[in-house]
Amino acid sequence: MQLKKKSVLGNAIASAACSLLGALPSTHVVAADATVPATAPAKGPWTVDTALLYYGESDGRVKDKSLRMAIQRAFDEDRALSIDIAVDSLTGASPTGAVPSDVPQTFTRPSAGGTYQAAPGQLPLDDTFKDTRFAIAADWLQPIGEYSRVDVGASASTEYDYQHLGANARLEFDFNQRNTTLFVGAAYGQETIDPVGGAPIPLAPMQGVGNSSSKLGSDSKNVIDGLVGISQILSRRSALTLTYSYSQQSGYLNDPYKILTVVDPVTGRPVAGPSPGLGLYLYDSRPDSRARHGLFGEWRHAFDRDSMAVSFRLMSDDWGVKSSTAEARYRWNLGARSYLEPQIRFYHQGAADFYHSYLVSGQPLPQFASADYRLAQMNAVTTGVKYGRRTGVGDFSVRLEYYKQTTQSADPKIGVLANYDLVPSMSAVIVQFGYKINF
Amino acid sequence: MANPCEVLCETTDEKAAFAISEAAAAEAFRIERKFSRYRDDSVVHTIHANHGATIVLDEETSQLVDYAATLWQLSEGAFDITSGVLRYAWRFSEPQNKPTAEVIRELLQRVGWHRVLWARPKLTLPDGMEIDFGGIGKEYAVDRTITILGDSLDVPTLVNFGGDLRTAGPRPAAGAWQVGIESIEAAGEADKLIKLATGALATSGDTHRYVEIDGRRYGHILDARTGWPASDAPRSVTVAADTCSQAGTFTTLAMLQGQDAETFLEREGVRYWCLR
Repeated sequence: MQLKKKSVLGNAIASAACSLLGALPSTHVVAADATVPATAPAKGPWTVDTALLYYGESDGRVKDKSLRMAIQRAFDEDRALSIDIAVDSLTGASPTGAVPSDVPQTFTRPSAGGTYQAAPGQLPLDDTFKDTRFAIAADWLQPIGEYSRVDVGASASTEYDYQHLGANARLEFDFNQRNTTLFVGAAYGQETIDPVGGAPIPLAPMQGVGNSSSKLGSDSKNVIDGLVGISQILSRRSALTLTYSYSQQSGYLNDPYKILTVVDPVTGRPVAGPSPGLGLYLYDSRPDSRARHGLFGEWRHAFDRDSMAVSFRLMSDDWGVKSSTAEARYRWNLGARSYLEPQIRFYHQGAADFYHSYLVSGQPLPQFASADYRLAQMNAVTTGVKYGRRTGVGDFSVRLEYYKQTTQSADPKIGVLANYDLVPSMSAVIVQFGYKINF
Repeated sequence: MANPCEVLCETTDEKAAFAISEAAAAEAFRIERKFSRYRDDSVVHTIHANHGATIVLDEETSQLVDYAATLWQLSEGAFDITSGVLRYAWRFSEPQNKPTAEVIRELLQRVGWHRVLWARPKLTLPDGMEIDFGGIGKEYAVDRTITILGDSLDVPTLVNFGGDLRTAGPRPAAGAWQVGIESIEAAGEADKLIKLATGALATSGDTHRYVEIDGRRYGHILDARTGWPASDAPRSVTVAADTCSQAGTFTTLAMLQGQDAETFLEREGVRYWCLR
């Protein structure tokens, strides 16, 4: 059907309606979109949030399959108990910190019970990396008076070579007609590290099979965290959160499985170590304390149908690592029951003061040195999308993320090292299935 | 009207609320009695029972026929109050096969406003043809009820006859009525909320009345010229207008546009919400 022009049709209908009804109203229609309020169907006291996550790094490096379950039981008067359980299964190979070379390299396994090799040109990876982690945390939330709440909790986790015990507390105060919430939190953690084969003496050389002269027993560290923050409702549609955090770690902060290659100043090849057939590889050495300051800001905004969140995080520690993260998420509500949420995250970090891709033979040994790529200068981009759907039998979600990390070596490439990427880039995919139910 | 009808009043005065709802109910029942196709004491029944003889219609029926005739003209024959007989080919409540071209062709012999002689107030409807005010009656009933309630109504009121609704009286305390558009996925749940301060909303949806043929979905609004519904129309169209009759007319015309419904509404410059 060919339709007549706008004014003709609209006016013709108005005029016909006028004849039909005798008159048209003196006021004109005033209609606008409204947001569908988050419908709170009759809520049962239990909420169970389950997530199955797969994380896989490229080139057969680390793979993590984990299952997380958060169980919450709500009680009267806004009190609630939460129990979080997580089981991780880590497998794969992780870079040891040693640099590639044009000669085959042999390394002693951390257990000192055998060796592994890196072919010429190959990045040395410790393929014995395999662990299962089990973690549990419990939190109790309850109001104190009308305008404040307290949350106290305890946590524990265990893996083959690592134990953690912790306690945390958080207080929240509402004021300014509940438009402002101030919160303070603190946490304490005690961690025991019992590395396979013992904790290496910092900067001691890697020894041959059966020789544990560079290793000691277990060690420990403790972590104190504190934070203070404010949430401010800016308008009916937007809210801002700012948080300052401080973290103080002390004790054994080395990575017992990371090493540094000592290379010849001319050829760039590993120099010979104390054990026959092994190059000189020194164990990681880091300060025994680390203080970190963090600043986090997040702005959330709700549109008529959709919503978005933009956040920024700045971190700085006394190891010289400065990082910034920028993230944006857009929640596109496809209907009242399903949404698509694309997200993007940029991460940049500067190298730790004592980060070295390798050490050079003949030069004075620094007090601290680590070739752990996680302390190198790096950039990372994560892009992802999440799809969620609410059904009568719970909320389902699936999240897909792609992570791309590029790392820069700070050191000049001596001799044969010029042919290699000393800290190779890495990419990873993350797939997560979530299911949440209230009953 | 075969639809849940309701009147919402914002008042603490129970008497006033009762008076308003009684007046609304009375008008709704009056219109239903008068124009229902299913009642043997209705005007529609009388017209059909006349078997092709000329009949003189009362003022109100004449106005409705005039309105329908205008819509027929504006839609170039797509909207037609004589298209009701097509229901013999289309049952929207149960699975069905594609109606044969033959069946449609035969039924179309009994459809078409151009076959009707209308010289207000005299109507000559050829025998075998039918008239159905279903496409405009509900909206008319809402508008009429608002007229009955009068301009001096001092209670914020919303008259809702099966999803076609209009405000009366002053605005509610919250500034506007919140109207949910029923989800096309889950009956009884709202997918969209509209704040209606004043005016009318009409919704035409196929949530409960549609057929799927060869993988295409057909809503219940039939194009009187082809005997077929427009394909790929939105699942639900809601339009805001000054009166319910205007809003309802736009939703019907939009549905007849099929996949071009949004383009049409956009071009018409009306406030609309489509769910697909």
